[in-house]
Amino acid sequence: MQRILPRFSLLLALAGALLLGCSPSSSGPEPLKELTLRRAPVDLSKPDPDAPFWKEIPEGYVPLMAQPMISPKPASNTTEGVFVKAATDGTRAAFHLRWKDPEKSEAGRLGEFSDAIALQFPVKDGPPPSIMMGAKGSPVHIFHWRAQYQRDKDHGKPDMKALYPNGSIDMYPMEFKEAASPPAAEAEKFSPGRVAGNPQSYEKTGVDEIIAEGFSTSSVQEGNGSVAHGVWAAGEWRVVIVRPLTIEGGSTLKTGGDGNMAFAIAIWQGGKDEVGSRKCLTLNWTPLKVK
Amino acid sequence: MPKVKNWQVQREIEYPFGESRPKRQWAIVFDLNKCIACQTCTLACKTTWTSGKGQEYMFWNNVETKPWGGYPLAWDLRILEKLGRQEWSAKGEYLGKTLIEAAPPTERVLHFAPTDEDWMYPNVGEDDCAGGNVDGGSHLGLPHDKWFFYLPRTCAHCTYPACLAACPRKAIYKREEDGIVLIDQSRCKGYGECVRACPYKKSMYNPYTRVSEKCIGCYPAVEEGIQPQCVVNCIGKIRVMGFINPPWKAREDNPVDYLVHKKQIALPYYPQLGLEPNIYYIPPIHADREYLRQMFGPLVDGAIERYRQLAEDPVAQGLLCLMGSTDRIMHRFAVDKGTALGFDDKDTELVRVPVTETVIVREPYDAKLGAIRNNTP
Repeated sequence: MQRILPRFSLLLALAGALLLGCSPSSSGPEPLKELTLRRAPVDLSKPDPDAPFWKEIPEGYVPLMAQPMISPKPASNTTEGVFVKAATDGTRAAFHLRWKDPEKSEAGRLGEFSDAIALQFPVKDGPPPSIMMGAKGSPVHIFHWRAQYQRDKDHGKPDMKALYPNGSIDMYPMEFKEAASPPAAEAEKFSPGRVAGNPQSYEKTGVDEIIAEGFSTSSVQEGNGSVAHGVWAAGEWRVVIVRPLTIEGGSTLKTGGDGNMAFAIAIWQGGKDEVGSRKCLTLNWTPLKVK
Repeated sequence: MPKVKNWQVQREIEYPFGESRPKRQWAIVFDLNKCIACQTCTLACKTTWTSGKGQEYMFWNNVETKPWGGYPLAWDLRILEKLGRQEWSAKGEYLGKTLIEAAPPTERVLHFAPTDEDWMYPNVGEDDCAGGNVDGGSHLGLPHDKWFFYLPRTCAHCTYPACLAACPRKAIYKREEDGIVLIDQSRCKGYGECVRACPYKKSMYNPYTRVSEKCIGCYPAVEEGIQPQCVVNCIGKIRVMGFINPPWKAREDNPVDYLVHKKQIALPYYPQLGLEPNIYYIPPIHADREYLRQMFGPLVDGAIERYRQLAEDPVAQGLLCLMGSTDRIMHRFAVDKGTALGFDDKDTELVRVPVTETVIVREPYDAKLGAIRNNTP
């Protein structure tokens, strides 16, 4: 087994620990040294954190710490770590992630932010890129789930009445109460994000597939069939993210452990106003093997 | 962090990016002595740009009553309080810290985040009488102490925008051609960092599209040589939009340069925040001077003094007459023999107005018709 811990990451971890005056989860369970995707004879196309087969798969702990490199940063280490297990059905890889979050935050209204998790993989073979969302020429592939996206998936994208039940408005452009309205596309012209084709402005199905080459560069890609499902109960999120093992133009998880495969994780607690670079993350790549 | 020149605070300030002034800088001058808070500007903007879903609460242009009002609630007090004491030298150099210089180590900009409720009640209660004993009726004493004034506000399209500095996605940019600051609607992910960072609170989150939006300076009009909606619809003709130069490139015949640099009667608001905002105000001459010094800096006394003496300055008078007299952007103005003229960027005459309107006195009795004249049609 080859441990992937480039010197740069070690330095980052040390610098981060010094900056924050704490080490990543010194009191937590033993950190996971390598994650194995176990072969499971199940259909992974419908992710379910409560599916019985997950009970058979061993779980590892990945410590997190407050993002230390780029401002704005979280003021404290809000999420200490995340429990991870993984499975594959031969074509897909499923990651079961659970972490403590005292409140469920789905965003929606002004000033509200969503709980979220992101799984990150290197795109190219060889030594893994900077864990901080890659670097120019060394892209990373990110699978970003938000509680907000989960809500979209479960109940549809909320309209303004759902977000502000007591709000009132005379009328919206191109939506008539007592006459036939023009095609919906006419009304869409008054929603700048949608007119500009921003993926953020449309209903989500659970998980965004993103390519990044460093901070500030992430860009949502056309989906490759990745799916996710999250459940919050008793102060804990349990989320399953399923991705194809092979994604053309993105990351590939190969059977046999070639290619220095690894993953990294970031978590946001919306209830603590975490969003964007205000997040907790892993400061080194955890090696990954597909059985 | 790079140092950049900020002429409004008369010193170099810290900013995450180097100095890169646009070819031209969009700017509006407002004469606060004339604003009556009719909100025509607010509605002109609202009906043009923010009538869609998620924009219900948005007023890219708003008018609030000072000192009581604020949209969002107490936006100015809350950031000033965070910044702490703000000292100026007698010559107008700012001695305190700007918002970027005062940022905590984990942040890019010193900020506060308004809550949902802070945005929801623009103007409610602002003009209600407060305090004082009104038994037996209230009356106006002189000098009166119940001062207030109206403050119309748009995005200031700052030279050093806090929103741009704070955006972790680099989704905000300042246009080279006119200095207008825009949020790329296809790139923003709605983190709200610009909403937190802009001290003037002119970035706003759209909960329907899940991205942030802001005043766009009516750039489609500006590109055609036309002033923004809030300016051309101003009933009181209190505004003029044009392009401002920094003081070392100021042109006396440029309307905005004249008011800000030459005559020095128009001042930026809260210049101590360090963003070099590009909306300028002719301060209200009757409001509390200490309050005005806090809002406009130490040059406010001189500005008011010069404004009071405008009757002796036919050129400045002429320029004020040109405000609201044309929809088109004036790049040059001139005052000649009692007539004020405005010109476009090709130096074609746009408008001419008399500096003093001719007064015609009509006798109340029309002897020729044998009829009493009156003003009732």
